Amino acid sequence: MTLAFVGGTHRTVPLALRERLAFSAEQAAEALARFRERFPGREGVLLSTCNRVEFYAAGERADVPPPPPDQLVSFLAECRGIDAALLTPVLAGDRDEAVVRHLFSVAAGLDSMVLGEPQIVAQVKQAWSLAQESHTAGPLTGEMFQAALRTAKRVTTETAIGRERLSIPSVAVADFASGVFERFDDKRILLIGAGKMAGETLRYLRAAGARDVVIVNRTSGRAAELAKRLGVRAGRFEDLSAELSAADLVVSTTGATEPVVSPELFSRAESGRGGRPLVVLDLAVPRDFDPRIGERPGVWLYSVDDLAAACDANRKSRQRELPAALTIVDEETLRFMGDLHHRSTAPVIERLRAGWSETGEAELDRLFRRLPSLDDPARAEIRQAFDRYAAKLLHSPLASLRSESRAGSPHGLLDALKRLFDLKD
Amino acid sequence: MIEFVSGISVVCFAASYAVALVCEASRLLFRSGVRGAAMIAFAAAGLLAHTLFLVWRATHEPAVPLSSAFDWYLLAAWVMAGGYLWLTIANPRTPVGLFLLPVVLGLIGAAQVSSRSPFPQSPATQIWGAVHGSFNLAASVAVAIGGLTGCLWLIQAGRLARKQPPLRSFRLPSLERLAHTTERTLTIAAWTAAAGFLSGMILNAVNRQRGLLETVPWNDPVVLRMAGLVAWLVTAAVTARVTSRRPDGPRTAAWLSVVSFGVLTASILWGLFGATQHGVPPVQSAAAVLSPTAPPEAMP
Repeated sequence: MTLAFVGGTHRTVPLALRERLAFSAEQAAEALARFRERFPGREGVLLSTCNRVEFYAAGERADVPPPPPDQLVSFLAECRGIDAALLTPVLAGDRDEAVVRHLFSVAAGLDSMVLGEPQIVAQVKQAWSLAQESHTAGPLTGEMFQAALRTAKRVTTETAIGRERLSIPSVAVADFASGVFERFDDKRILLIGAGKMAGETLRYLRAAGARDVVIVNRTSGRAAELAKRLGVRAGRFEDLSAELSAADLVVSTTGATEPVVSPELFSRAESGRGGRPLVVLDLAVPRDFDPRIGERPGVWLYSVDDLAAACDANRKSRQRELPAALTIVDEETLRFMGDLHHRSTAPVIERLRAGWSETGEAELDRLFRRLPSLDDPARAEIRQAFDRYAAKLLHSPLASLRSESRAGSPHGLLDALKRLFDLKD
Repeated sequence: MIEFVSGISVVCFAASYAVALVCEASRLLFRSGVRGAAMIAFAAAGLLAHTLFLVWRATHEPAVPLSSAFDWYLLAAWVMAGGYLWLTIANPRTPVGLFLLPVVLGLIGAAQVSSRSPFPQSPATQIWGAVHGSFNLAASVAVAIGGLTGCLWLIQAGRLARKQPPLRSFRLPSLERLAHTTERTLTIAAWTAAAGFLSGMILNAVNRQRGLLETVPWNDPVVLRMAGLVAWLVTAAVTARVTSRRPDGPRTAAWLSVVSFGVLTASILWGLFGATQHGVPPVQSAAAVLSPTAPPEAMP
């Protein structure tokens, strides 16, 4: 065993326990320092996010294997002051190839609560950086995490798993409002009410270039407070009709139980609009805009249900990309394991080469003593011929080793080589 | 090199555009990492061959460069193909080729069935003929682009009205951009078509004054259909301008543009298969006057 892992996610660990198990950056650094002391010579990386806590351990040499998963569970419990008996049933452990496959899936966002979400890549990078700073990272975890980031990049570029938007505000702005408007820097944005989605929608609108934003609320004090917090201008609720006339895009999130904008109110506002199109993102439940307003020419009205349906369609679209993403994870896992197994053959290959080289040198010395008349160029030619001969003879067994490594650790071939060429450990 | 250029045929670039069109259509079926590059490569190769073909004709034909109905259609196709390549490079996710390339191929097809005989060559007709042809070419391209953006506006508006998110492989421009382009092309088409028609009348008047045989009767079918087309385009542009400040203004402009494209297509088809003395060399023109069964000549 060279790799071990233990961890739990939102799927396996209850929220209350996950909160206790989560590591802040300082706590993670302390845990890694403790790991270094407790398991010297081993490599360790701790990945702690809102939805998962995972510890990856590695030990390349046979005499310093990584701690097995049960020891890692105890270690995490000890670090966070939790009874290990509570963690054992909810944390999963794995070894070797399964560890690699799991990390690659995690980095690609395939194990996330929101399939294909991109933030996990940055979190994996941070975990690796922290391990480097804490001196628990090593060549094996280094290669594994680099390969994980490469896998994530391949999944992002070769599949569309992360391309479709899943949150209502992002779909509202990027898929619908952007379908109507080319740019937002010359548009008037009107926020009606102060629902929780108003701020997030505004964030997406600002990212798209929106600058001119007005907020109106039934309670003027609340509107002023929100305007200050969001950095926008506050308007008067009594001027709603005039604000609707001036607006190009409306985000409505009031908690009103009846529609705030009736067809009659909208008709009054419409007369002053000069035929400009209006996008209304009605994110309130119950709805703030009478649905009949959406039937008018030039009005593009989207309710929460409309946007949620689009989000669902996008979610299904991501699911359809999952098989292609898993194929990439499989390919990268096999590639990494092949390289890892091939690394384990390096000492035998080194000894084999050294043995041949030693024998060759001895034979060359004997030959040159018997033929003293040979000049330096002739000797160099003969030496090169010997080297080429040895390389050609070694090529087939080494190629077989490489090929065998792709399917797993080539113990049989290694033993055969050791016995055939009398290689001592 | 000269041998290579002289060997380029219409089939060479038409085939390149057709392959680019197939690549565009495949967007609807599957994802591909190399399709965008392949599309641009085929379209660019087609455009290069198309350019070399036109240069060869302009420099090796005895008459005024590109002065036949055949050349006119190929020149219009060349402008549209250039526009397609530019738009595809600028907006790789917008499938403009699905709409523009059939127009390009249609114009090449029209060229194939139209006359390669040059238009009349007297000095007066050379100047006014060039003005007349240039304005007509600009009007046709504007109508085709307006038809495309109008059609895209209607598709995009339909999707947004049905609350459908954009397709990954079929992302359309915003309504705002499409409406702006549609209204602008309608105006340009009306002005250039009117200028083309006016310059054609001046050209004919000059020919009549000089008693040249290459005059066209005022009731010639081509003159009548051009007058109809200009009247339609001016009406469409004025209607689009008048309704632009109404909420359904962009929809009206989109429909007007699509219909304008239909009117232009019908007009071209009429020109291809109808009898006329417009653009026919004097000798042939006289023969056409004498014999109603003379082979028809095409002219945009």
